Amino acid sequence: MIDLQFLGLLNATLQAATLLFIAALGELIAEKAGILNLGVEGMISIGAVTGFITAINTENIVLAAIVGVLSASIFSSIHGFFTVILKQDQTVSGLILTILGISLSSMIGKSYVGKKLEVKIYKFGGANEPNSVLEVFLSQNLIFYLSIILLIIVSFIFNKTLFGKRIEAIGEDLKASNSMGLNINKTQFVATCVGGAFAGLSGIFLTLSYVPYWTDSMTAGRGWIALALVIFGGWKPLRTAFGALLFGFLEALGPRLQTYGFEISPYLIKITPYVITIIVLVVLTILKKGNTGAPKNIGVPFFKENR
Amino acid sequence: MNNYILSKKLKTNELSTFYSFLFGLLIAFFIGSIILFLQSNNPLEVFSLMIKLSVGSLNSLSNSLNKAIPLILAGLGISIINSVKLWNIGAEGQIFMGAIALNLVYINVTIGNSNLFIFILLISGFLGGSFCILLPALAKTLFGVNEIITTLLTNYIVFGLTIYLVNGVWKDPNSLNFPAAAYIDKSVYLPIVTSKLSSGFLICIMFTFIAYYLKEKSVFGYELRIAGGSELTALYAGIKSKQVAFIAMLIGGGFAGLAGAIELLSQTHRVSTGLSQGFGYTAIIVAAITGMRPIGIFLVGILFGALTIGGSVIQTIGVSSYLAEIIQASTLFGALIIQFFFNYEIKKVEND
Amino acid sequence: MYEIYSMNKYLLQVNNISKKFGNVQALNKVNFSLEEGVVYGLLGENGAGKSTLMNILSGIYMPDSGSIKIKDNLIKKLSPEIASNNGIGMVHQEFRLIESFTIKENLILSKSNKFQNNFEQTYKKYSEIFALNLKSSKYISELSVGEKQKVEIMKLLFNNSSIMLLDEPTAVLTPQETQQLKISLETLSKSEKKTIVLITHKLKEIREFTEKIYILKNGNMVAENINTNETKDIELIQLMMGEVNRREIKKDNIKGKAKLEVKEVSLYSNQNLEILNNISLEIKSGEILGVAGVSGNGQVELANVICGLVKNYKGSIVISNKDVSKKGVKTRKKLKLSYIPENRLGIGLAPGVSVLDNSAIKEYFKARYGPHLSSKKLNIYLSNLINQFAIKAPNVKAEISTLSGGNMQKLLMGRELISNPDVIVASQPTRGLDFNAVEAIHELLVEQRNQGSSIMLFSEDLDELFKLSDRIIVMFEGAIIKEFSLEEFSIDKLGLAMAGINE
Repeated sequence: MIDLQFLGLLNATLQAATLLFIAALGELIAEKAGILNLGVEGMISIGAVTGFITAINTENIVLAAIVGVLSASIFSSIHGFFTVILKQDQTVSGLILTILGISLSSMIGKSYVGKKLEVKIYKFGGANEPNSVLEVFLSQNLIFYLSIILLIIVSFIFNKTLFGKRIEAIGEDLKASNSMGLNINKTQFVATCVGGAFAGLSGIFLTLSYVPYWTDSMTAGRGWIALALVIFGGWKPLRTAFGALLFGFLEALGPRLQTYGFEISPYLIKITPYVITIIVLVVLTILKKGNTGAPKNIGVPFFKENR
Repeated sequence: MNNYILSKKLKTNELSTFYSFLFGLLIAFFIGSIILFLQSNNPLEVFSLMIKLSVGSLNSLSNSLNKAIPLILAGLGISIINSVKLWNIGAEGQIFMGAIALNLVYINVTIGNSNLFIFILLISGFLGGSFCILLPALAKTLFGVNEIITTLLTNYIVFGLTIYLVNGVWKDPNSLNFPAAAYIDKSVYLPIVTSKLSSGFLICIMFTFIAYYLKEKSVFGYELRIAGGSELTALYAGIKSKQVAFIAMLIGGGFAGLAGAIELLSQTHRVSTGLSQGFGYTAIIVAAITGMRPIGIFLVGILFGALTIGGSVIQTIGVSSYLAEIIQASTLFGALIIQFFFNYEIKKVEND
Repeated sequence: MYEIYSMNKYLLQVNNISKKFGNVQALNKVNFSLEEGVVYGLLGENGAGKSTLMNILSGIYMPDSGSIKIKDNLIKKLSPEIASNNGIGMVHQEFRLIESFTIKENLILSKSNKFQNNFEQTYKKYSEIFALNLKSSKYISELSVGEKQKVEIMKLLFNNSSIMLLDEPTAVLTPQETQQLKISLETLSKSEKKTIVLITHKLKEIREFTEKIYILKNGNMVAENINTNETKDIELIQLMMGEVNRREIKKDNIKGKAKLEVKEVSLYSNQNLEILNNISLEIKSGEILGVAGVSGNGQVELANVICGLVKNYKGSIVISNKDVSKKGVKTRKKLKLSYIPENRLGIGLAPGVSVLDNSAIKEYFKARYGPHLSSKKLNIYLSNLINQFAIKAPNVKAEISTLSGGNMQKLLMGRELISNPDVIVASQPTRGLDFNAVEAIHELLVEQRNQGSSIMLFSEDLDELFKLSDRIIVMFEGAIIKEFSLEEFSIDKLGLAMAGINE
């Protein structure tokens, strides 16, 4: 007899993990190409709010999803412009975009706070409460399955295709990549926009299914967790997925702790992902003597040879 | 076929940062106007209201200057750390930690003389900020761990710690609808200078000069500059790069911690999650716009404080207070774009 | 009839190529023609123009004038892509390999790789030619330097390069690896019909590897297409280095006790390769010891060891009778040692830092009052430097790289010499400077010598060495191969020693 509460916890974990994972996967793609995008938080926000507004106004979920993903992608192209074309500092550009993204979303979304969404993202399994672990897995919503597909596709691209390896090459060594004839500017710019699109996808999941409504600061720092997740996962899609599950578990566990009779404050549980990430990061860096799996050129702008 | 390449200009205009800032401000107001237009607001009306209610009266000016204090202090801290080419993204956490440290001391220590007590509390705040950045500083200088990520993560840890404390051990039973710690006693409030202006602003002025002195006139600042330029040159100069970088980070964290302490003693009067509304992040923008110059940080900090106040008051006419943040962020954006043109030129590479 | 014949003979024809950088004529109406299947040598000293010519051929630089024909097609605009498409490939001294990727990945990721579909076959073939007994799944980081070079050369083969330019390939190889390279290149040129150009200053390589030689000197091609086996070493040296203009200075300086002693210093790299081999020398007060040698034979490392920047070496360093082997830079500075490093911007001067700050690096602690750094004193100090050494620095608060190369060097030297040091280690002090700057710096060094300093002068400029030195030692492969007294100074003998030939 499986504990219903456990199933509820599992369900919540999967949902929370999906949210984090998609954004993290997008950032992973950008970072693999050598671009650090600290603006993920802002991009999730933009995707979330634009998707929500579209859904409210058109009641068309598919359109809302497309709008959300595209808006976030376009927003992230600003980062691409600044870092790849203008060769500006990636840290500063990303931070500005986070602040801009959150402020803009709050501004645009102001009149939509409190509105109810009539349509939601399709969820398998109908309204029945799942009775087993298997049923939990089979009754998730579309985005969950989409994220698994994305995991497979991205893993495949980076591990098995020439295309993916070339992206990785650019993140590793600019000079060598340039001598191989790879188009660095184009790759980095596109990777940034793709990362933004993923963040947008995460955002629409947030407002069109997970929550599902719009309010200020609803991203709640998930963008930053996504950044930490990429490091935690050692820039590998599968490990990042496991990290997302862990963090999602911790997020879902918090409010449920009391029911399990644990005395640890849920507030402390909430900070464990961050503590764990710092510890992992420091330990990894010490052990691998700096070789954490990070793309070596991350943050370094590319200048073509002179004359 | 023509090739265009980007090349750095050899002669840079000394005042380029200042001009970039001005242009950036223009661009920001332009962007703000567009947004207001799209929301059927009259930009002129909104901006003039912002100006009037942020610097138009002694009262509002005091509010703006008060709002500027944490931005300036945290910004100064960031600029000191940036001397050695490192980033402190953790100012937000250090602000909270400063407040937490202050409260910790306040609860456990009693000192009769309230001026002395305030002094001790402020020092505790400073030390709290330093403590907050200690782990990232050690990790960076000893093992080379990326300080951007570690300082960022500590923000969440400290914020989480704050939530834990105000909902747990420090929970004020009298605060019903909003979890927060108990109020501190009026005897340790920071005294007001005039109108509503807190004496914290005077501390702010003092620390601006301290930061300026450290960065520009002290041996320490010199060593930071060389270490930031090249570790090998620093080695030849006999400068211990890792040591000076470590100390710079602790000092920078301390500045932000002090900001938190002042916020507590003069504005919120208690530890709560509302102590800082992103000041630590806005401070990064302030510092970046001025090219990490302390005097500039002081002035831009005041401007941004005014913008923040302006932003909060226009809510009365239905405009989101986020407009202020958008303008702040856009100013840096615009400044960076203009700065780019000051620094680089696009050269045509001629072919036969 | 002659024209039809010449159409087929040359794979590459470079005619009257000239290139100027600022005031320096790097190449002056240079001709260079290559036939299929021949191994060529391009000989010349540092600064002769070899790199410039190669960079033009690989499409990185554009010539000011002249023409390039490949297989009789006039190439109007040569870019890296076009060069590559026309079969020109270059292996640089700094490898362009991705360390964390495998050999296979480094080869197939390139967009100009022509053997995408039959990788294994091609890899097998070329790894046999190079005796590279490694699986293509090995990571570059696991390879030795020699093996990495083989992969770099294989990159060219995978791109189907017909003209292969190799920049100082044996600089990083052991004697055995050098032998192997020779065999591989022979096979490539004879069986695969590849045209190979070996850029080098080592005479031994020219002898062993090449069939024909081109010699560049000061931007001019002074020898074209001469047969290797018909030329003597001495002739090559004379063509390469030419007449030495010995500008005389008085060498009646009085020498006193040794202020610098280097005793049996050896240094090993992380991979246990020998970088410095049992170096012993002493320099008397009032003496200039010239150190000749092709760059890369341990000069930089020796200078760094003497000045305290490198610590884990065997042997001892003694300054004014005090053993400083275990001590660091500060102690040596206190004993009045000054270092003018080869790497100006990076070790001597800090990039991104102002002129004023950089000028104070040596003695900033003299301008300190406790925690305070007196900017007044700094400015006075800098004014002194500017006046004494005629440095052009209009804005002292501007970043250091706003100064010209010559002024940067004068600032560096001035900073190091103004305190009248006892020991001076100067590495390539006049590299890249115009005539006046060079003269000024020579005067400075002689002045210091006359005041009793022990000076160690590393230089690739034989003119300079002959002019200033009281004795000259030659470094080759990390050791002192030969010493020359004043009477023994001769281009021929020195050139041979530098080439590793000790007769």
